[in-house]
Amino acid sequence: MDLPYQQYFDAMPCYLTVQDRDFKVVTANRQFREAFGDYRGRYCYQVYKHRSEKCEVCPVEQTFRDGQVHSSEERVTCLDRTEVSVIVHTEAIRNEHGEITAVMEMSTNITDIKRLQHQLHDSQAHYRTLFEEVPCFISIQDRDLNIVDANRMHRETFGDFLGCKCYEIYKHRSEECFPCTVRETFEDHQVHIHEEVVTSHDGRPINVLVHTTPIVGASGAITQVMEMSADITAIRQLQTQLSSIGLLISSISHGIKGLLNGLNGGVYLVNKGLAAEDHTRVAKGWDIVQRNLARIRSMVLDILYYAKDREPDWTTLSAAAALCDVGEQMQEKGREQGVDVTIEADPQAGAFEGDEKAIRALLVNLAENSLDACRLDKKKPLHRVTLRAAGDGTHVRFDVEDNGIGMDRETREKAFSLFFSSKGSEGTGLGLFIANKIAAAHGGTIQIVSALDEGTRFTVVIPRVKTNVRHTPLAPEPTRDQPHD
Amino acid sequence: MTDKKTVLIVDDDPDTVTYFSSLLEDNGYATVTAQNGADGIERVKQARPDLITLDVTMPETSGVRCYRDLRENDAWRTIPVIIITGVSGDFRTFISSRKHVPPPDGYLSKPVDAAELLELVRKLLPA
Repeated sequence: MDLPYQQYFDAMPCYLTVQDRDFKVVTANRQFREAFGDYRGRYCYQVYKHRSEKCEVCPVEQTFRDGQVHSSEERVTCLDRTEVSVIVHTEAIRNEHGEITAVMEMSTNITDIKRLQHQLHDSQAHYRTLFEEVPCFISIQDRDLNIVDANRMHRETFGDFLGCKCYEIYKHRSEECFPCTVRETFEDHQVHIHEEVVTSHDGRPINVLVHTTPIVGASGAITQVMEMSADITAIRQLQTQLSSIGLLISSISHGIKGLLNGLNGGVYLVNKGLAAEDHTRVAKGWDIVQRNLARIRSMVLDILYYAKDREPDWTTLSAAAALCDVGEQMQEKGREQGVDVTIEADPQAGAFEGDEKAIRALLVNLAENSLDACRLDKKKPLHRVTLRAAGDGTHVRFDVEDNGIGMDRETREKAFSLFFSSKGSEGTGLGLFIANKIAAAHGGTIQIVSALDEGTRFTVVIPRVKTNVRHTPLAPEPTRDQPHD
Repeated sequence: MTDKKTVLIVDDDPDTVTYFSSLLEDNGYATVTAQNGADGIERVKQARPDLITLDVTMPETSGVRCYRDLRENDAWRTIPVIIITGVSGDFRTFISSRKHVPPPDGYLSKPVDAAELLELVRKLLPA
């Protein structure tokens, strides 16, 4: 069969055939012949697919039926057995009466495109796996700081909150952080690195090292910023452990110098008294010496307690007595500061097993924190701190409640972190950390209920009978949090 | 009436107050004492001392505030002040870095050596 424009037909850079109603190849162009060999007397499905029967879905058949153009994607096999992907188009060939006498089938080789498609798909899957499984938190933020994508570790730790603001998810804040390295990256196109404490969806503080990296679109403009945060909590805990001795020693060195000064005074009085045979003076001096020695001893024990995970010195304690002991000392301090300190010790609170010095340190730390919270609050005319002791069948409970400055959610969640202080230069960031550590060493917990400008209540719950707490983590255990707001 | 020079001792630690007052009284000085900065200023108002020993870290009004109040008052500006503190080094830098506030007349670091304190007091209060 000769076609008009045969030479052009031959030269077309695709496989071209003309088929009759039996799907016999009537004619074919050069590229087809080179790839599939001699077609004469053979059927399309034999040549293309090495089949003995026609294909189930056949675009040529469809075109014979309806006269329309049809197309499909197929895999065909060449003479040399190589498989080729093709896109098939069919076109009806009509006689002068408009009847379809044959169908022209044009198959374009798309093997290279298909291979690239597969490679692209594999590459995307590979990078998605990397993104999902890399052992750090990754989130992608847009210019409004919305999280538009996040990896598995991020979702598992912070919750599946696509579309939410990063500061809401990471820090449980209602306002943008300052400074914000994501913003900085959007502005200067640079990678920024900083360290943060963020909070998981279940209230666990996590130390992270954050890298913010620009994601540049096809136009060269930054479309998004990727925030990659490595969890360095374990490293920070180790550092904390290593540095805590040094920190504690420096924080109490002032006290020790004062005590040594007192000792100097005592020794001076004793020496002068002995020289003058003035026994009153000797006794006065010796009192000072003894008092300061006792204070130094107590301070050294405190350092040892704080500096390592000391096993509590277990004795049976009365919850009411422990509270009153601290309460009276706090009433004294409260009077100096104009804060009304009330003690409400339930006589039925009962006994529990604990380390007397540690429990005292715990209550003093909480109460002093409350007094500070009152002192820093300038909005209320009257301030009060209430100390309560109570108990049930299995636990004793201490409440330390104040109407001071209160804490926002971020402060509340970081309250037990070492070195975290909301009191500016006045706080060491040590008190609540130690209180929490002591509670944990007793198998107990401290819960914080607090609202900004309203006040704070710490509730310490300790089992009556000592529990085997083998390891007291330096980092605070997650505590339940019941915010007012 | 005696012509003893009076030293005001401002410190929140009672043992330190006992130490300094005994030492100074044994050596011919009269002493008055105060437990914090505000109390110290009150004492200065009542009877102008010849010299003041001042602790830095105290409740209520700190030694730093008290020192500034003393130096900003024309009547008290010339009273010699010895800063006695356990806060090593920092205070010297702090006071010196503040313009318009002249440095104190002496510093001693706790624990204080009796001879050292006496020597400094004698130097600042020549007979």
